[in-house]
Amino acid sequence: MEANRYLRPATLEEAHQLLLQDAKNILLGGGLWLKKSTSSANALIDLSALGLDQIKNTGDHIEVGAMVSLRDFEMSPLVKNIQGGILVSAVSQIMGVAFRNGATVGGSVAGKFPFSDLITPLLALDTTLIFYPKKELGLADFLNQKGRSSDILTHVVIKKSTGRAFFKKVKTTALDFAVINVAISRLNNEYRIAIGSRPSVAALAVKAMDTVNGMKALSDEQIAQAATLASEELLYASTNAASAEYRKALVRAYIKRGLEEVSK
Amino acid sequence: MKVSFVLNGRNISYEIAPGEYLADTLRANHILSVKKACDEAACGACTVLLDGRPILSCSFLSARVEGRSVTTVEAVQDEVSEISDFFSDEGADQCGFCNTGLALTILALRNELKNPTDEEIKHFVVGNLCRCTGYQAQFKAIKRYLEAHK
Repeated sequence: MEANRYLRPATLEEAHQLLLQDAKNILLGGGLWLKKSTSSANALIDLSALGLDQIKNTGDHIEVGAMVSLRDFEMSPLVKNIQGGILVSAVSQIMGVAFRNGATVGGSVAGKFPFSDLITPLLALDTTLIFYPKKELGLADFLNQKGRSSDILTHVVIKKSTGRAFFKKVKTTALDFAVINVAISRLNNEYRIAIGSRPSVAALAVKAMDTVNGMKALSDEQIAQAATLASEELLYASTNAASAEYRKALVRAYIKRGLEEVSK
Repeated sequence: MKVSFVLNGRNISYEIAPGEYLADTLRANHILSVKKACDEAACGACTVLLDGRPILSCSFLSARVEGRSVTTVEAVQDEVSEISDFFSDEGADQCGFCNTGLALTILALRNELKNPTDEEIKHFVVGNLCRCTGYQAQFKAIKRYLEAHK
């Protein structure tokens, strides 16, 4: 790609100042989708010298540095223990090992990629994003923000939880983008249902969640109602990969299967 | 700008453009085992090892290997030759374009996973596409190679 400068700041403050200097200065995560997303930049800002490549156990949460690779994330015992390993199940389906060694958690989240197989399960969990300068945002709020941000995502904080969870990525071939992806988590009797690659970025199916939340046991009718609501309350569109109607049909099928599985 | 790193055991320094990708840098410097096929991080033909772990050099910026260690097939010819023998025995070769990237992935697999299951083997090499063989012969060859090194 075309770029005038490559910069590796030594502090977050320096990185932030560089980002503010020019609208065509861009932050690098792994940089693997740069070819697809950006044709030119003034400066490429590499965050790899800032110590953001650690996964920390902070008690009730795990704190994932933005520069942790998807492969290190996938192999972390801390990540494996969350909700039956839903994050490992999802991330391990992203391309191959060599891709995941280069791609980063922060880049995957900050990019708000519509096809992301990481954002969808994170949204189904209790996930908070930490930015520099000092700011915290829930993942759903971050995804709803419009426009270019001058904040730097430094950490993804995930609440530890041990309930049941479900993830399904529908794809044409092993290395393909998702036609649709669905994540459901259950903690006690609270459900979170996230749907991505519709083809827009993942969102919560709030009406469907309201239908099942607080229920000790779910009837077939409640599950069917939630599945139908999930296929209706969000926007679905047609692409070369799939029609909107096909995506809705997949959502109805997999929300039903997912709720049946996690409500056992 | 300059990037300095260890390439196949030797300290080197190359002049690169800020937005240059590693596969281009290596090929421009006569490391021709690194193949460019899809050139968009989808096929694995450009795989090299960075600090012993496979990465996709077609989409990995050259500046990011500063101070690190890059290994290509040129540095592990004996090991790759052995893998090639197993591939020949199983008829797992045809055009050979994907072989160098796949061989490095297999070496990384051998180092990273001890006694991998069939599923773990398939999962590790899924990112290296081959348009000739249909994968079954490759899988048998990889399995035999790993078993020979238990």
